[in-house]
Formats: sequence, C-alpha cells, structure tokens
Amino acid sequence: MLSVEGICKSFGGVAAISDVTLEFKTGSLTAIIGPNGAGKTTFFNLASGAVRPDSGRVILFGENIVGLSRMEIVRRGLARAFQVANIFPSLTVEGALVAAVQVHARKAETICRRFPLKECRDRAFAVMEMLGLEDKAATLSANLSHGDQKLLDVGLALALEPRVLLLDEPTAGMGPEERWQMIQKVHELWERQKFTLIFIEHDMDIVFKIANTICVLSYGKLLAEGTPAEIRGDPQVIAAYLGTSPEIER
Amino acid sequence: MMRPRSLAFDLALGIMVLAALTIIPIVFPSKALVDFVIRGAALALFATSLNLLIGYGGMVSFGHGMFFGLGTYSFGLLMQRTGMPIPAAFAITLIVSALVALSVGLVCIHVKEIYFAFITLAFQMLLYSLIILWVPLTGGDQGLTGGIPRPPFLGINLANQGHLYLASCTLLVSGLMLMRHIVESPFGYTLRVVRDNATRAGFLGVKVLRVRLLAFVLAGVFAAAGGVIMSLFVSGAYPEFAYWTVSGEGIFIIMLGGLNTFLGPTVGTVILLLLNDVVTRFTEYYGLALGTVILLFALGLRRGLLDLLIELWRRLTAPSGKTRSRVRPARR
Amino acid sequence: MDLAALANCLASPSCVVTQTVGGLIIGMLLFLVTAGLTLIFGVLKVINFAHGSFYMLGAYFALTIFKLSGSYLLTVIGAALATGAVGFIFERLFISRVYGRNVLMQLLVCYGFILIFDDVVKIIWGPEFKSMGMPAMFQVPPLFIAGGVVPPFYLFLLGITLMIGFALWLVIEKTRIGKTVRAAAYNPGMVSALGVNTDILYGVVFALGGLLAGFAGALAAPVRSLTPGMGFSVLIESFIVTAIGGIGSIAGAFAAAVAIGLIRSFGSVGFPLFAEGLMYLFMVIILVTKPTGLFGKEIA
Repeated sequence: MLSVEGICKSFGGVAAISDVTLEFKTGSLTAIIGPNGAGKTTFFNLASGAVRPDSGRVILFGENIVGLSRMEIVRRGLARAFQVANIFPSLTVEGALVAAVQVHARKAETICRRFPLKECRDRAFAVMEMLGLEDKAATLSANLSHGDQKLLDVGLALALEPRVLLLDEPTAGMGPEERWQMIQKVHELWERQKFTLIFIEHDMDIVFKIANTICVLSYGKLLAEGTPAEIRGDPQVIAAYLGTSPEIER
Repeated sequence: MMRPRSLAFDLALGIMVLAALTIIPIVFPSKALVDFVIRGAALALFATSLNLLIGYGGMVSFGHGMFFGLGTYSFGLLMQRTGMPIPAAFAITLIVSALVALSVGLVCIHVKEIYFAFITLAFQMLLYSLIILWVPLTGGDQGLTGGIPRPPFLGINLANQGHLYLASCTLLVSGLMLMRHIVESPFGYTLRVVRDNATRAGFLGVKVLRVRLLAFVLAGVFAAAGGVIMSLFVSGAYPEFAYWTVSGEGIFIIMLGGLNTFLGPTVGTVILLLLNDVVTRFTEYYGLALGTVILLFALGLRRGLLDLLIELWRRLTAPSGKTRSRVRPARR
Repeated sequence: MDLAALANCLASPSCVVTQTVGGLIIGMLLFLVTAGLTLIFGVLKVINFAHGSFYMLGAYFALTIFKLSGSYLLTVIGAALATGAVGFIFERLFISRVYGRNVLMQLLVCYGFILIFDDVVKIIWGPEFKSMGMPAMFQVPPLFIAGGVVPPFYLFLLGITLMIGFALWLVIEKTRIGKTVRAAAYNPGMVSALGVNTDILYGVVFALGGLLAGFAGALAAPVRSLTPGMGFSVLIESFIVTAIGGIGSIAGAFAAAVAIGLIRSFGSVGFPLFAEGLMYLFMVIILVTKPTGLFGKEIA
C-alpha cells in the first residue's frame, strides 16, 4: 500500500530522518510514536510529499511518488490532517467541506454553476455525519472549539476519499475525555471506510488500545516495529521512550 | 443547509436596480447626477474587480490600475484609429486586457504578499512610462485628444449623454452580476480557500497558481471594462488613468466600503465620489477634510461602511448564541 | 531615444563626471529617505506610506529655520530633529493603533496623513513653489573635475550622506541600542520581557526613520523647489528603492538608491522621455529574478 524505503532527510546538516524503511499494509492501523524531535512529523512530510527526501523512495500503490506535486499525490489517494488544525477560518464547516469535496470531484474551477454543487454538498454532509459535526454545519470555522477544529481538519482530509490517511497527533491539545471521543471516532471511521490509517500520537494509553501496529522512531531512526505487545516488551523501546511505568503493563 | 445564492434572485435584483437607475434621471433631471452615475459606474467596476483580488483572493495588488488605464487607451485608440463599431472595440479591449493580465500575471502570481504588491506596482508604472514614451501612438503626456468617435450601433448613440448614461448603467449592472456569479461559483469558493490557507489548499489538491492566475485575469478584464466607460465619459484617454494613484484610489474605495461584502466597493465608490463633490464645494482644503474622514474610518470605524452595517444587522437579528471572544465577522 | 547623446556622454570625461555626480546626489537623497523607511519596516513591520511627507516636512522646516537663523548647519540639524519629533508623535498617537492590523489599514492611516500634511503645509507655507536658495557658505565657484562641473554643495551632500549612512550602520550593528533595536525586530515579546519599554522603543525607531527623511529634505532644500506635493514622487521612488534593495536592508537601500540615481541621471541623457521608465524596467527585472530584492531575505 504505502511503503518507504531507505528515506533520509537532513535539514542544515542535522539528520531528521535516517534510512527509514517501513511498510504499511492495506487497511492497517498503525501508530507512529517516539520522543519529541524523533522526526515523526518530518516522516509524515516525507510520506505525503510535502517535503522531498534527500534519498530513498516512497511507494504508494506500487508507484514511487517522490517528486510528484502535492496535487498529484492527493489524486492518488493519500491525504493528511495536521497537528495544529490547518483550516479555512472564514468558511463555515459546510462551506469548507464542500470546497474540499469539489476539489476532489475536479469541479474546483467551475464557473458556470453556483456553489454549492448538489452532489458535493451531499458528500460533504456524509463527511460531517461521520465526524458528528452536522449540527455545526453553519458555524464559521474560526469560531469552532479547538476539538471541533481538529475534527474539521480530519474532515477536510476525509473529503478527499483517501485510501491512505495520515493523522498528525489527532488528539493534540485536548483534555482526556475529548481525546478518547476523538480517537473513537477515528477508529470507527477506519473500521467503516477501510482505509489505511497511520497516526502520530503521544498518549500511550490510546496508542496501545487501538493500534494494530506500532512504529517507534527515535533520533530519526526506526527503533522498533511490531504489535503493541511486542513493543511493550522491547527493551530498546523501554529504554529510549516508554520507561517501566506500571500503567503500561496491562 | 447551505443553499446556492440564487441566480434568479440576483438577476431580478439587477433588473430592478437597472430599472431604478433608468427612472431616476427622469424624475430628478440633473446633469450632475448623470455624470456622477457614469463616473461611479466606471470606478465601481474597477474597484469591485480589485476586490476580486484583494477581498476574495487575498492578493493585494498595488498595480491594478494598469488594466483600467489599458482599457481607456485600448478603447480610445481603437475608436480613433479604426472607427470600428463600438461593441467590437469593446470586445477587443477586453481581449487585449486578458492577454496582458495573463502575461503579467504569469510572472506575478509566484510572488507572495507584499512582494506581489511591489511587483504589480512595478508593472503598472512600466506601462505608464511606456504610455508617456510612445508619443506617436498615445499622445505622450497629453493623452488621446480630439475626442472619441461614437458611430451609432443598434440604434444606440453614445454621443447622446442619455444613451451613454443607460449604457454605463447596463454595463455596471451586468458587470457586477457577472462578477457576483463568479464569486458565488465553485471557483469563487476555491479562491476563498486559497485566500484563507494556500498551503492547506495545496494539500487538498487545489492548483493554487492556476486559481490565482485565473482570478488575476478576470479582475483585469473587468477593470478594463471600467476603463472603457471612463474613456467614453472623458472622450479620450489620459496617462493619469494608468498612474499608480488609480490603484491607490481603488484600494481606498474598497476600504471605505468594505472588503468583506460583494457590494462594499460599490458603496465605497459612492462614498468617495460624494466626498469629492461635497468637500470641494465647502472647503478648498480638500486634503485636510478627506484625510480626516479617512482617519475616522481607519481608526474609528476600523472597517468599511457596508461591512459595519452588515455586522450591526447580524448582531441585531442573530440569536444570542456564540459570544466567544474569538468571534470573527463573517465574510461573504 | 537618443543613444548617440548617451554614447557621446560616456565618451566624454566631463559629461561622465557631471552625470555621475548628479546621479549620486539623487541616489544619496533617496538612500536617506529609504533608509528611514526600511528601518521602520524592519523593526516595526509597518510600511510607512506617509514617509514622503516626512521628506517634505524636513524641507519646509529647513526653509523656515534657515530664514530665521541664517545658519545652514542649524537648519539641517533643526529640521531633522523637528521631523523626528513629528515622527515620534505620529507613531505614538496613530501608528501604534494599527500594529498587527491588515496592511491596507496601515496604508489607509498613512494615506489620510499624507493628505492632511499636504494641506497643513499649504496652509502654513502657501501652495506656491518656494525655494530656499543656496546658503552663503556654498556660494562659491564650482569645482572642475576632469572638466565636469561639480558644485561644492554636491560634494558636501555626498560627504554628509555617506557619514550618516556609516553612522547608521555603526549604531545598528555595533552599539547596544542598535542590538536592542535588532532584537526587537526579531522578537519584541522577549525584548519587552527583558525590561525594555518597547512602546518608547518603537516611537524612537519611527522618529529615527522620520529624522532620516527630514534630513534628506533639509539637504535637498537648497537644490530642489519646495511644493506641497513633493513628498509623493519621493514616496514612490523610495518604494522602488526598497523593493529593489530588499525590505529591511540598509545596505540594499544604499545599493539600490545609487543604482537608481545613476540610471535616472544617465538615462535622462539617452532616453529623455523614458528616464523614469528605465527605473521601472530595472525594478521589474530585479523583482522578476529575485522577488525579495537584491539584499532581501527570502520569505519562508
């Protein structure tokens, strides 16, 4: 589905990602964890084509996507959401989602008809329902609560009907209860839509509860990869990141 | 549930406005009023086209006046040199503007923010300098003198002030309706998306550069239409129409009327023209008076008039709901 | 287009000297004005669209002070300080209210003031063209360098501008005040947290910008005619210089100003109707190849 082979990226002499090779199988649910500065967001940037790797390949559905424009990568079914909600402040929730859907439907530059196009509006509503944002459809994106803005951010990515979805810290900035709600929604979405989901997360409870596979990055290198049980017991991971806190032992 | 802003409603509104504009000078015959509306039509088209870039596209151009000037000179030259039918000259003027906008735009859209403002200004002043230089063609700093021939077409004689008035109103209303349609089309919302967050727009798959270029060209065409009206009004074309102060005036108009609403620039045009007329009648210190009014807007009202009125309207009619400190005024 | 005249001029040392000196004068005055503009933008992130008005005020202040005192030295210093004071007040009362706002709002405030300043000058000094005349100490025969005519006042102007430019660079790069100003440009919050009164700092920076423009006006007064609209053309030219040199860069302002001055000077020989056009053409070429200007920093 999506795999990276030997990708490297340095910024000004500092290696943010060194020789990482990973494979994400179709329909998998993978969490990327690691201490701050491990290169997780850089990894996402490389995988989604936002940043070009110095070396290595990024294979999406059998095709090397290194060097392709963001638009071309999106057209191939890869979408991402952002750590800090990256939205369109002056549009309503509905407006923003319809706008996203119409880009996907290749109708973004239509001038002859009026916005919103019916078919796009229907799809946007479906996305809103998936995320539970229907009753906020007419709210201005800038006026949403932080949690709802994050949901909208995910919604914008979902509007593109992705087959691979990258979520960068979907629960960042939320209180504990909100976090579970968010991650449950994400999990439901994954079960229903059956896309390949990769997310970055810091909350270990969440990670160990829902991820099928966990990848641990540290100092730009892949430290370990495996099921939650394997990762929990991996001495290197424990030493570098998890520690031996009893809460982890479930 | 968002409904498309109705095309039928806009059409009806446009026709009503046109009807009203037609009747007014019959009820209140006044040369000053007729002149006011014709000038207003030219400037309102120009300012609304600039708002396409600034308000809807987030592209602050300091050089938009180049298309207004280009409109006046293209039309003026075509009529003086070839005597072709006016509709043909009009169409060719628009095409010429589109081509120039395309070429200039191709260079400028890669540049961001304040640098976009600088480079558009540079291109405008270059055009201005060329106009001044090319005396045999443009008359240099004298401009196109000798008047513009107005061969009647379809029974319309633009040498007749009444006909000119009606034609300007029609152009104004149709131009505004067309721009309104563009702004309410899927493209218009893609443009807003690029304005709000060009990076995320890219991540959604929007061709940001293409969207910006298209907006730039469309804006240039409508600005040229305004220029044609002005050229007919003054019966010529003068270098001032291509000078950077035209761009400044356009920005000024938008700020006075409001850049968050479609009709803001039109309201701003009316305010500016009224101010011009009123102030010059009462005092010779035009600058002092106008400057003070500007400061009142900028420091006091802090937004354009129409934006303010709409915001007040919303506050009065909205249910007391979200009163977060982060509430932003909605944009249309 | 008179390329023959240009070629002749370039071949003749006297013409080269005359035109170069003339171009440098234009350039130096522009540099002073632009240095102020770019300083204000670099630290306060505000484009002072009213900057041309400070140049105009400097010239008019110089006119009056010279008439009252007869001493050119006093005139220049007095005019500069007076303009600086106006700048300080302008910033504290008006500009400070539009920090962080839309650049168009800032433009609007400045535009309002351009109109007001122009009329105030018209009221106080009258709308007619005025001239200050050459101060007595410079009413000496011109120097002849390689056959070219060089009025001593020009040399004085060149010298003093270079000194000011150097002093400015020295203050900004080498002194503590300069460091504080530079720090405030990068991180005003931190500078404020370190106990510096950023409000006063901003006022001072703006005043300094105005002072430089006022200086330029006072220096230009003997050789230019004074009129209430004189700020306008200086404004657009200093914009061009800023755009070409790079926003926030004083070295860039210097290079661009000198380039523009020489282009204007030699350009008017070879392309009498297109001298200004050459300037804009140059601007277009530079901006197309490097949108942030010669010495400008790339935006992320």
